[in-house]
Amino acid sequence: MMQHRLSSALWFCAPFAVLIVLWAVLIPYFNFNPRLFPLASSVIQAGIEGILDGTLIHHIGASLLRVAVGTSLALLVAIPLGIAMGVSPVVSAFLTPLFRFFSVLAGIAWIPIATLWFGYGFGAITFVIFNAVFFIVTYNTLLGVSTIPLHVRNAAASLGAGRWAMLTEVLLPGALPNIVTGIRTGLGFAWRGLIAAEMIATNVGLGYMLFVARDFYRTEVIVLGMIVIGVLWLLLDRLLLAPLERATIERWGMVQRA
Amino acid sequence: MKNLTIRNLSKTYFDPYAGTNVTAVHDVSLDVRQGEFVSIVGPSGCGKTTILNMIAGFIPHTGGEILLDGRPVKGPGADRGVVFQSFALFPWRTVLENVAFGPKMRGVGKAEREKIAYEYLALAKLTEAAGRYPAELSGGMQQRVGVVRALANEPDVLLMDEPFASVDAQTRMTLQEELTRIWQEKRPTVIFITHDVGEAVFLGNRVVALSKGRVLEEIAIDLPRPRSWDALNDDPRFKELSGRVLQLVRSA
Amino acid sequence: MKPFFLNLWSHCVRLTARWPSIGSIAPFIPLVAGWWIVTELEVFPRAFLPGPVDVVRSFGSLVYTGILPEYLQDSMVRLAVGAFWGIALGVPLGMLVGLSQRAHTALWPLLLFFQAIGDIAWLPILVIWFGYGLITMTVVIVYTVIFPVVLNTVLGVRSIPITMHRAALSLGASRTRILWEVVLPGALPNIVTGLRNGLGYGWRALIATEIIVGTSGIGFLMFDARRAGSVVEILLGMIILGILWYIVDSWILAPIERATGQRWGLVTR
Repeated sequence: MMQHRLSSALWFCAPFAVLIVLWAVLIPYFNFNPRLFPLASSVIQAGIEGILDGTLIHHIGASLLRVAVGTSLALLVAIPLGIAMGVSPVVSAFLTPLFRFFSVLAGIAWIPIATLWFGYGFGAITFVIFNAVFFIVTYNTLLGVSTIPLHVRNAAASLGAGRWAMLTEVLLPGALPNIVTGIRTGLGFAWRGLIAAEMIATNVGLGYMLFVARDFYRTEVIVLGMIVIGVLWLLLDRLLLAPLERATIERWGMVQRA
Repeated sequence: MKNLTIRNLSKTYFDPYAGTNVTAVHDVSLDVRQGEFVSIVGPSGCGKTTILNMIAGFIPHTGGEILLDGRPVKGPGADRGVVFQSFALFPWRTVLENVAFGPKMRGVGKAEREKIAYEYLALAKLTEAAGRYPAELSGGMQQRVGVVRALANEPDVLLMDEPFASVDAQTRMTLQEELTRIWQEKRPTVIFITHDVGEAVFLGNRVVALSKGRVLEEIAIDLPRPRSWDALNDDPRFKELSGRVLQLVRSA
Repeated sequence: MKPFFLNLWSHCVRLTARWPSIGSIAPFIPLVAGWWIVTELEVFPRAFLPGPVDVVRSFGSLVYTGILPEYLQDSMVRLAVGAFWGIALGVPLGMLVGLSQRAHTALWPLLLFFQAIGDIAWLPILVIWFGYGLITMTVVIVYTVIFPVVLNTVLGVRSIPITMHRAALSLGASRTRILWEVVLPGALPNIVTGLRNGLGYGWRALIATEIIVGTSGIGFLMFDARRAGSVVEILLGMIILGILWYIVDSWILAPIERATGQRWGLVTR
């Protein structure tokens, strides 16, 4: 079993190794202008420099903090609100279009107004992330609660579940798969929104790092930033969100997906 | 004459979990003459579906040979029609288009292949359902389409893999009676896989009892046709034959 | 009094049953009313939060001057071009990765990684390569649309039961014929779902691109207004975005998704 996991991890990494080798060989071979595409070595160098002088860590830290704060705030509000609204079929049917409308707007479309309301900086960006997560998670929670079959709720009631037990034993776990899916989608939008917002509205963060590097044609910093963004999201999605989704969705057999 | 000859057929595969070679089919030999209806019966895991998949060409065999009309079988082909337990109708095609699929692959023109399809649909009393999608039909109706689709391609051999296992008991009896009727009308060569002894005896000219990948015995079924459950339910000969096959399968 | 409300209620239920779109408009009425009251009472300064009347007025003037129709057209054309190339490249790639184990081993990790980089992070380097213009925008949108399409196509291709392939083979279909007759239609509901997700992301990417590097389009309109400090036009832009996507999604994409998936019984809702 251990061996199997190791070999599948190796197979996963192999294409990247090929890609990096191609990069390291082809770019010098064709003598590409480094202002258009950087050498693999200069990207590594930029990475090391960024870590040593602390700027890279600083940018990463700022981006992650914004995501963490915005997402936590959004979840704290969205889940209780979604459950409260989902309990009544009439209310949830009434409000569903509203939340669909706003989850469409989620993220990037809020950037202009957020910067006007909050000025450039932490507030505006956190607001954008909050919006990206909040509407989608609320909508999904609403959906999750309202799709719990009535007979499950009836069964719990006839087994003597009170209001509190109904909430913790039926509504919350029943909606959990939808909530987790909502978080995953919402964070996907939030992450993109973050990068976009940082390009426009701040002086620290990964998006800012990319955008400033563009002004100086420092393609090695741009590519480094792109790799960091990709790796961070991949880690977040694969190590945190996907297992969470699998744990709820697949084990309970409620929804089937890959 | 397009006979099917199976000689010393065997299938061995490597089981990665157990880490050993597993033999699913041992040295099976069988001759099926044109126009014959042969039932292969055995408990689940006896290798009967593996045999069918090898004849169909879906999986390679590891020993022996399969000859159709004297030529060895290599891969799937239109000369061997298959009816699947899971129906395997194309959900995105209407009933008519499903039945016309085989002729279409042969390059038959639209008008001509629809004529063929309607003719076969009428055979299973499915004309009304021609324009509907498989998902809109009941399980029994879907499998009628499955049988007719395979027949409409006029294969040399019709391979049926527990086709009625996933429909309800009443529908199954109706389907069995219809299959005997259609067989008498069209006289296709049929190999019918089942775990249901009654079904095997009811349908076949011959029943091959299989256990643990080996042929136990072949029993000729001399019941008169047309066959119907009303007539055969209390028929002593049917009971005797079923009893014998059941004993064979259970004792192994 | 009570029967009156009950009558009103049943009237509403019957009305929404006959025209479901009324049901989706209904919740916006109290929202807009609340917005209107808040702005009339001047809870926030006007410059900060303008009222619905101001937004409608600015809509009128932007339509009259022709700016809004032009920008709207620009955005829609960019999205359509991006969607076209996203499908044209994504579906064959998805079929390849879904059918060939070798292609899957080689490409799947790369697909996951490049998807994770995200469209917008490509903007700076794309601007260096292609400058400000249609190519940059199209590449960003294609990049966004293509991943959900590829990943869902792979999912769709792999969800086709092996008996489907076998049935087609034993009915005489060749391997290439199966691509068209079995693989493509079998994966179609997933492809449509992927396109729907992809356009959802692509739409946002377009707005971001227009905001950052654009010279026209709805995103540019909003950011131009931001520069001028005109909240009215920003709100107008957001509302147009929302309505437009709502229409595209629920009147075009969702019905296609239902039409393919539901009648075939491949998707149950």
